[in-house]
Amino acid sequence: MSSNYERTAGSRKRLDAWGIAGWVFLLLLLVFTVVPLAWMLSTALKTQLGALQFPPRWIPTNPTTENFRMLLDPNDDIGRRFLRYMLNSLWVSTATTVVGVLVAVPAAYAFSRFRFPGRNSLFYGVLLRNMFPAVIFLIPLFILMRNLRLVNSYGSLIITYLTFGLPLSIWLLKGFYDNIPVQLEQAARIDGASRFQAFIRIVMPLSAPGIVATAIYSFILAWNEYVYALTFITDDRKLTVPVGLQRFFSEYVANWPGLMAAAFLMSIPVVVMFLVLQKYFVRALTEGAIKQ
Amino acid sequence: MSAITGSQPTTEPPAPEERGPGLAGRIAALPGDIARHWSDYLYILPALGIMLVVIAYPIFYTVRLSFYSTPANLAMDDKIWIGLDNYRRILTSDSFRSVTRNTLEWTVFSTFFAYVIGLGAALVIQREFPGRSIVRGVLLIPWVISYVSAAYIWKWLYHSDYGLINDTLIRLNIVDQNINILDNIHRALPALIIANIWKEFPFAMIMLLAGLQGVPDQLHRAAKVDGAGTWARFWHITMPQLKSVSVVTILLLMLTNLNSFTLVWVMTGGGPAGSTDIWITQIYQLAFGRTRFGVASAYSVILFLIMMALGYFYVKALTRGDAEREGA
Repeated sequence: MSSNYERTAGSRKRLDAWGIAGWVFLLLLLVFTVVPLAWMLSTALKTQLGALQFPPRWIPTNPTTENFRMLLDPNDDIGRRFLRYMLNSLWVSTATTVVGVLVAVPAAYAFSRFRFPGRNSLFYGVLLRNMFPAVIFLIPLFILMRNLRLVNSYGSLIITYLTFGLPLSIWLLKGFYDNIPVQLEQAARIDGASRFQAFIRIVMPLSAPGIVATAIYSFILAWNEYVYALTFITDDRKLTVPVGLQRFFSEYVANWPGLMAAAFLMSIPVVVMFLVLQKYFVRALTEGAIKQ
Repeated sequence: MSAITGSQPTTEPPAPEERGPGLAGRIAALPGDIARHWSDYLYILPALGIMLVVIAYPIFYTVRLSFYSTPANLAMDDKIWIGLDNYRRILTSDSFRSVTRNTLEWTVFSTFFAYVIGLGAALVIQREFPGRSIVRGVLLIPWVISYVSAAYIWKWLYHSDYGLINDTLIRLNIVDQNINILDNIHRALPALIIANIWKEFPFAMIMLLAGLQGVPDQLHRAAKVDGAGTWARFWHITMPQLKSVSVVTILLLMLTNLNSFTLVWVMTGGGPAGSTDIWITQIYQLAFGRTRFGVASAYSVILFLIMMALGYFYVKALTRGDAEREGA
């Protein structure tokens, strides 16, 4: 770390053209990133009439929290539906995350520690999931779910979402396990711990950042997923938030403030979760995936 | 989880020097190996089971369906074998050509700019400055929010009557009155690509940021002592170190973009006049709009073959990283 400081201190003294160009670039990039987000929030605080003005205003003339109140009020018809979508999403995403971690951890551990035949081909076979276009699964899975009478069930979404998150989860976690010296486990085994105990007491704590990172990743993927939810769920009461949002808009056309408020509310859980835990995510990527 | 409690002495992790045994010896010992390691497979069984049901079966089914003409009512028992007719019809149609052109434009521009912007962001964010982790967090927000939210945010920004973009263009005297953006066949695709870059560059940034952690400081200092400028150090030290991360990032971006659906579907639905129709929206429209599952399946298979080719390079890039690591 100290060497890093020296380096930047040195280059800051010189303040070369590249350094300045970098800051200008960062500033422009921040504007590009933040303006659409700020515009969403600004619109969400407007009345419907206030939003349909040209030229548009950054600061709403009559700011109102009515849009948020409507969406979060269980006694309001729209609010009841929106809250139900949020709960549906929460249930599907949580279930996907929990099952995903329970499945990914032993698999990644086995791929890292054991030398069974076919280990490499199976590992890369799992990773290949990322290669396939989502639609290639959409049509047959829709027909399969229809035949199994699983259309309009959360199970159909949970099992599908699992396969989105698993490849990256297994890959990241395997990287973590590769980095944990086998000798630590062996020492615990010599001291009389079973393999399971050694796993729980030694390996799990050391790989916790990786597990947290893969859990966030699975949760965000499931929370945001749209195509499968659009196809598998037709019952309005069972919709997840992304499809619910679209349904909402097709019924209340031109209610941009309401739509922006809903988009804002549905982003809060994942954004907060990610910002709080981003250091684990970056660390997991650095240690798990991109080792030199 | 009970599988973990069973402790077989044979599943003991081997010492490092046992890695990479000879290929011939391995094949000869295969049946015995499998028998000896049977309990190892229990660990990966749940993962494999899920992947098989949700991946292997659908691929098989899609390939089969692509040779049939399917009835619109989804009664799959009434399908008729028509051989390669679906493929012939797709490959000779005009729409295939225009959809492919749109898809290539979408994929190439989105991937290129997401990567370049992500690289620039990673290089700046890597510097030490106050508020660094906040800036990094803010830049990651577009990647974290859902494609549906992003689509509506940008649809609203591009709005032809009340949109912020139109307002800005007028203020900057680029146009003198409101223009149609998403309703214009020449502007819709570029507009979607910009929204897509907004959504994707943070992914490239975070991958490359992780890759930059692996660049040794000594190299930079040594090069500086030798009088290398910022550009020379970037080109001869940083970039070579980022090579493998870059390959993986670019391939993942390309695959994501070839698979894009939500942004286009929500913002334009493929219109106006098919000017933003890409492969996946076209397939979705064929399957769930016009219930022509046979043709849509054939389309998927064509796309699948293209992805497999890319996937080959992806796995190769990943395995090379592994080989380097184990050799080191």
